Amino acid sequence: MSRPLVTLALLVFALLGLAPLAVMAGRVNSEDLAALFTANSGVLLGRTALYGLGVATLALVLGVPFGFLTARTDMPFASVLRPLGVVPLFLPPMMLAMVWTAVAEIRGAGAAWFVSTLSTFPLVAVFAARAFERIDARQEEAARMVGGLRAVLRADLPLVLPPALCGACLAFVFTVNDFSVPDYVSWLGLPKFSVYADSIYATWRIDASPGRAVAMALPLVALTLLMLIPALALRRRGALASLSHDFRTPERISLGAWRWPAFLSCTSLLALAAIVPIGRLLWEAGGGPRGWSTTELSSAFALALERSRGDVRNSVTNALITALGCVALGLVLGHALERARRGRLLEPLVLLPLSVPAVLFGIGIIVLWNRDATAAIYESDFLVSVLLTGRFMVFAVLVAGGAVASLDPRLEEAARVAGVGPVRRLTHIVAPALRSSLAGAFVLVFVLSLRELDATLLVPAANHTAMFRIFNQIHFGRDAFVAALALLLVFLIVLPGLLWSLFARKRLELLP
Amino acid sequence: MSAVRLDGVRVVAGERALLDSLSLNVEPGEHLLVVGPSGSGKTTLLRAIAGLAIPSSGTVELFGARVSDGAKVLIPSEQRRIGFLFQNSALWPHMSAARQLEFVLEHAGVPKAQRAGRASELLEWVELKGFESRMPATLSGGEAQRVALARALAIGPKLLLLDEPLGPLDYELRSGLLAKLGELQRKLGLTVIHVTHAPEEARAIATRTLRLRSGRIEVSE
Repeated sequence: MSRPLVTLALLVFALLGLAPLAVMAGRVNSEDLAALFTANSGVLLGRTALYGLGVATLALVLGVPFGFLTARTDMPFASVLRPLGVVPLFLPPMMLAMVWTAVAEIRGAGAAWFVSTLSTFPLVAVFAARAFERIDARQEEAARMVGGLRAVLRADLPLVLPPALCGACLAFVFTVNDFSVPDYVSWLGLPKFSVYADSIYATWRIDASPGRAVAMALPLVALTLLMLIPALALRRRGALASLSHDFRTPERISLGAWRWPAFLSCTSLLALAAIVPIGRLLWEAGGGPRGWSTTELSSAFALALERSRGDVRNSVTNALITALGCVALGLVLGHALERARRGRLLEPLVLLPLSVPAVLFGIGIIVLWNRDATAAIYESDFLVSVLLTGRFMVFAVLVAGGAVASLDPRLEEAARVAGVGPVRRLTHIVAPALRSSLAGAFVLVFVLSLRELDATLLVPAANHTAMFRIFNQIHFGRDAFVAALALLLVFLIVLPGLLWSLFARKRLELLP
Repeated sequence: MSAVRLDGVRVVAGERALLDSLSLNVEPGEHLLVVGPSGSGKTTLLRAIAGLAIPSSGTVELFGARVSDGAKVLIPSEQRRIGFLFQNSALWPHMSAARQLEFVLEHAGVPKAQRAGRASELLEWVELKGFESRMPATLSGGEAQRVALARALAIGPKLLLLDEPLGPLDYELRSGLLAKLGELQRKLGLTVIHVTHAPEEARAIATRTLRLRSGRIEVSE
């Protein structure tokens, strides 16, 4: 392990991820804290916690069977449905809200619950699928001999449940910190659905007081940490069920007559979460109620490209810089986290930028960088990459760290005794062995950066991105242009994953 | 001058002593067999010599040079020029057989123009001529272990540490690799410390056997 390299990575992390939080924490005074103890705050917090718990539970109920059916059974097209199952997670939740409130005329809390569940169930499904396929065949055979399929499932469940719960905890965190979905469904009219993240945004818009915004956010930060810390512990327990050197792949379980019903269930879920939303956007872009035609569709795309070329370019550039930066830092810090003597201490630290509401992190970036000495950065597009790297680095660190944990340490030791120095070991032994995970981290951060709205909403430099343009435009009315721009964004979001599946032989490892 | 000299070396993991004030001398050219039940500290002994496990107390000397003193590492692993053959080979999965060797040769300071030739020569030593472009996933257990042996020899070590190198192989491959080890040791004048679960097979090429129990030397014969 190269100490100078790790120190440099830690300094960058401190500047991008922790400094925006530290600078905000310093602004809180007793008046701000007193304002926190209002009856309304308690109601909002209770509602937000219930909302998060409800979505996490539903995500668990839908995600575990989806993961099991696609990873371990002979369900038709399981190998196609499994990667497609990730797509809803990548679609901006606000886009799902846009579509479902129009398709089904749902509003208020019901709409927010429905959309957030569709958006987050893949988190549970991918964790569960990976855990199911990492159970050694011999363990299952031993259970089968004792009590058949029932015994197999009973033996498997304790191995699958911790990672699935880790996914559910993350679903909770994503849900309670999301501002865009409740904001959008409330904007549409009654019944309103106000949540905590919404009120932080409102507090900042009213009096632009960082201290008040931080104080408002504290209960939500506590709630988020309350879920993130168990998620980390559960992730480690999940890793215990991972591959050993003499691992034997388990056989696919035969569903018999249930093969096609299982296929229909999984396809229906995917239809709700991805196919209908994308189909609806296509319909709207092609003319919608005025009559659909390919001419309308192509002119909507031409208009979207003409009006928003700069926004799309900015979004892609920011996402690329962010993803590259996060992967480089993730490799160094993820490796240190697993291999350094006290590396695990780093884990709660890297979670901090994710534990604060995205809106608040954006405000922290404004407070930190909006000063004379850093005006050049504050006014440039680069600030968006600075913001997104600080916010999303945690994913790259955890994905790389998880991959390092499952890498045989003897590979590095063999290089070490052969005279290879720490930096070369990291770049020539560790990085190539982790390429699927590093590519997965790249795709994950790229996608999250492209679809991010909450953190960037208040930052002026981020006002020229495709996501911001969609957010602004839908408040002025829905038309073919918005639908085409949203589809363009969806295409860019799925492109890296698509390219990887076309040209790479190994599966993309997206999980922390 | 001893090839390896350990004096009161103690390695701990939590509360448990993996090596408990162990002292040992290995003379140049010796082939020392290390045996003992699981958890007796055999692998930890090799790792302490290689610098992969840091002792909490005691000193380690290699060919007269002190390499660690208590928890202080005086010469790190990468500068000790030790050949280490791991159990299950630990080949780098993304490198071909030849590339594994060239990568080590590069770090041993061998000029680029000579590396490919030297790698082929090493593969020939272990009877794997023509395997240059083969990836680890396409090698059998015995072939992988011989590539790992060539890799361990690539830095030109004077000391070779073998951690149950024959474990995953069948009887025929074990005998073949043992014979090859004996031949290379004589040819290169190596000092070998060889951890094994099957001492009867390796006794023919060994000069001494050390039995460990609970991190201490039980018998040296």
